[in-house]
Amino acid sequence: MGGRKKTLMGMAALMLLTAPTGAQSWAADGPGTVELGSLANHYSAVTFDHAMHVGVATSCADCHHHTTGLAPTDPNCVRCHKAGAQAQSVSCKDCHSDKRFSPEDLEKTGGNPQLYHKGKLGLKGAYHQKCLGCHTTMGGPTGCQDCHARNDQGDAFFHSGKYAPAPKASGGHGGGH
Amino acid sequence: MNSLQSQGFAPIVSHLKKDGSEWTVKEKLLLGLSPKEYWAVQLRNPFNWVLWVIYAVGLPILVGRFIYGLGWVTHSSYDYPWGLFLGWGLFTMVPLSASGFMMGTTVELFGRKDFKPLERLGLLNGLLGYLFAVMFLQVDLGQPWRLIYPMFVSLGPAAVLFLVAWHVATYLSCQVAELVPAFAEWMNFPKAKQFIKKIVLGLTVAGIILSTLHQGALGALFTYAPGKVHPLWYSSSFQWFQFFVSAVFAGLSMLIVVSTLSKWFMRWRCDETYLNNLSKLTLGLAKGASLALITYLVIRIIGIAHDNDWQYLATGWGAWFMFEMVVGVILPLIFYTMAVRNSNASLARFSAFLAVFGLALNRLNTALITFNWQLYQEIPHWREVVIVVTVYATYIVVYRAILARMPILYTWKENK
Amino acid sequence: MKKLHRRSFLKGGLAGGAAIAAVGTSKHAEAAGSFGGYPDSMGVLVDLTKCVGCRTCEAACNKEQGLPAPDKSFDDPSVFEEKREGGLPRRTTEKAYTVVQKYDVPGREHPLFRKVQCNHCNEPACLTSCFVNAYKKTPEGAVMYDHTVCVGCRTCMVACPFYIPAYSYSSAINPVVKKCIMCYDTRLKFGKPPACVEACPQEVMTFGKRKDLLKMAHQRISDKPGAYVDHVYGETEVGGTAWMYLSDVPFDKIGYDTHLGDQPIISYVKEFLTIVPMVLTIWPALFTGFHLLSNRKEALKNEDTKS
Repeated sequence: MGGRKKTLMGMAALMLLTAPTGAQSWAADGPGTVELGSLANHYSAVTFDHAMHVGVATSCADCHHHTTGLAPTDPNCVRCHKAGAQAQSVSCKDCHSDKRFSPEDLEKTGGNPQLYHKGKLGLKGAYHQKCLGCHTTMGGPTGCQDCHARNDQGDAFFHSGKYAPAPKASGGHGGGH
Repeated sequence: MNSLQSQGFAPIVSHLKKDGSEWTVKEKLLLGLSPKEYWAVQLRNPFNWVLWVIYAVGLPILVGRFIYGLGWVTHSSYDYPWGLFLGWGLFTMVPLSASGFMMGTTVELFGRKDFKPLERLGLLNGLLGYLFAVMFLQVDLGQPWRLIYPMFVSLGPAAVLFLVAWHVATYLSCQVAELVPAFAEWMNFPKAKQFIKKIVLGLTVAGIILSTLHQGALGALFTYAPGKVHPLWYSSSFQWFQFFVSAVFAGLSMLIVVSTLSKWFMRWRCDETYLNNLSKLTLGLAKGASLALITYLVIRIIGIAHDNDWQYLATGWGAWFMFEMVVGVILPLIFYTMAVRNSNASLARFSAFLAVFGLALNRLNTALITFNWQLYQEIPHWREVVIVVTVYATYIVVYRAILARMPILYTWKENK
Repeated sequence: MKKLHRRSFLKGGLAGGAAIAAVGTSKHAEAAGSFGGYPDSMGVLVDLTKCVGCRTCEAACNKEQGLPAPDKSFDDPSVFEEKREGGLPRRTTEKAYTVVQKYDVPGREHPLFRKVQCNHCNEPACLTSCFVNAYKKTPEGAVMYDHTVCVGCRTCMVACPFYIPAYSYSSAINPVVKKCIMCYDTRLKFGKPPACVEACPQEVMTFGKRKDLLKMAHQRISDKPGAYVDHVYGETEVGGTAWMYLSDVPFDKIGYDTHLGDQPIISYVKEFLTIVPMVLTIWPALFTGFHLLSNRKEALKNEDTKS
């Protein structure tokens, strides 16, 4: 966790040095809200308040890495993407596959010796690591249902809600015995 | 029965009654008594009262194990997959039954005919020990009806247990064959006896091979769990040898124990040759056991030195290890040596009880007590204990029944 | 497949051990090095620093494997406080092939969560200890178990250095070993990741070829100095496992056995396995010799009386 703090501090320092003008154009370019529905089988879609998050973040690069043209905040990324190479799309789902670990995805990543970002997260992982990572340090909500309400199918999946098991007298049986 | 003998009862020793007619099988089974007399004797015996209590409690639980599953009689531990059924029934009973191959070797291979009076007792002790080890295994196996799978259905020949399974099975047949003469004499099947006589050398050599390997293999089974068995009880290099050598003294000591018990409680069944030779033979066995004990002691120490486990001796486990070594190995070793020197058979007998205790302690330590020493101690479920007592009681009942009838403790008198 | 010869060799040796039965003859009587695993086998890299303890993996496993309903909901965090015998955290059971454990590490801001399931060893102890050959390591990397031949001796449970296989003691008719099979039947053999990997919202687990994962793991360690302990648990432990772990806390502080060594469990049994053919071949001659020697006098006497 110490690493993350350092990253944030380094990021702040970088921001002061490199991008004072870019910062003013943040809110104007971004969408107001984004519907995130990749977990629709268990959860209702998340309405992501992009505008609000723009106000909280220190830089677009906090979430969008180098794709908006700003210098990335992770010192590791800066080694290559020094100035921030603007990408054709800044949308998460256009780079982070929602079919992560599917045979096709594995062929594309594992089978390509030229590829540097072999460990690039899938869409779901990218969302959650980014959201939860920041929410944890910034004190945002971290519970699953703080962001997306679980639907009936989800309740069944988790054996929760009306699908919750009847409480047992012998609960707390760990299984060693 | 001992008191009956003092009232003039003469046990069966040949096919012919005093009046020249032949005993029927039924009469032989009833020890030559009338049914009424027989049951009166059984009812009078206080040991039988104890057995009835054991069966009254134990049989329903034993049956329950097969109806409700292992979960009903054990703690269903995933961390301790093996409990008392194997800890006692397999790992302790098998070494205590090593007497069979050793008496066979001594008498048939090395030509020490002077041990003949004890040969059959040694063989029987071996056979029954193995038979009941299999019984215990059948109680413990999740699906006992698949016992023959490793032999004929799905073979895993690279596993140590595969070797144990095959060897115990073939060795059991070996031992049955070796005891055929006693049964043949009693049943009057002279041809069977003659056939076994021809192949006895082969059977004996097979017995040594199989015993060396499966006694060792029982130890090697624990080398699959290098981190789980406490280092003082674990040696990847010498575990098999420790188990084999300890089986040697354990088998001999167990033979002294059962011969002593038979002398005390079944004197009526022992003949003069047996009783007159017993003290001398006990000292002979004691000599063998003491040699095995010193070998065992040395190899245990080498095992510790080899893995450099000395630092564990200063811990609580070290103290427990010292207890096992002193009471179960060093004291019997000293007593056996003194007994042989002073021709003191009583001391040898006492020492034998100690050595048997020491062996049992070692096997239970390896399989149960020091197993998972870094996790926690499993205490067996009470039903598990009851089943062990019940099966062991059956072992004693069968043992006693055979001793009372077949020519094990006495020599059969052939018809002239 | 050259590397497989050593196991065939052992099989051959022990098949000889069952000489009387004359089963299975060995084709390859050559000793080779240790089996390092199938070259293209798959694996999973678990980054413990990423796990938030949501237990979605447990729910996914339960559904995928058709396991019985849990005692508590999969979103109930109270299971983290449950202790089994000896004050130990929950482990895999006949009803749960994977469990998440929680470790409060002094000095660490948040608790560390650790997912436990079968590690799918390259040379599994369960497989090598099984006397009915119920286990199989597939080329895809999964360690499979065949319940139709299992006798229930539970040696695999004794042998597993990770305390993974559970047993359905509750069944009287058909008790079997219960453990993670990496979703082989339903997913892995079609090239898909195990259900838990796919379900994880945090992408704690990376699915891929084991050799690629290893490179990735070391790269992750070097990319973020100080963020990880410089060790990939499972790279070498007991000969290497398909499931491997990265952590920011020393592994011995979070319940991992760091004394397992690099040798597969079977290597500890080899010293015994090598004596088996020796005893089988030397003993008969040796003891028949002893017999002839010890009975020599008697034999000579008989000769004398005959002549």
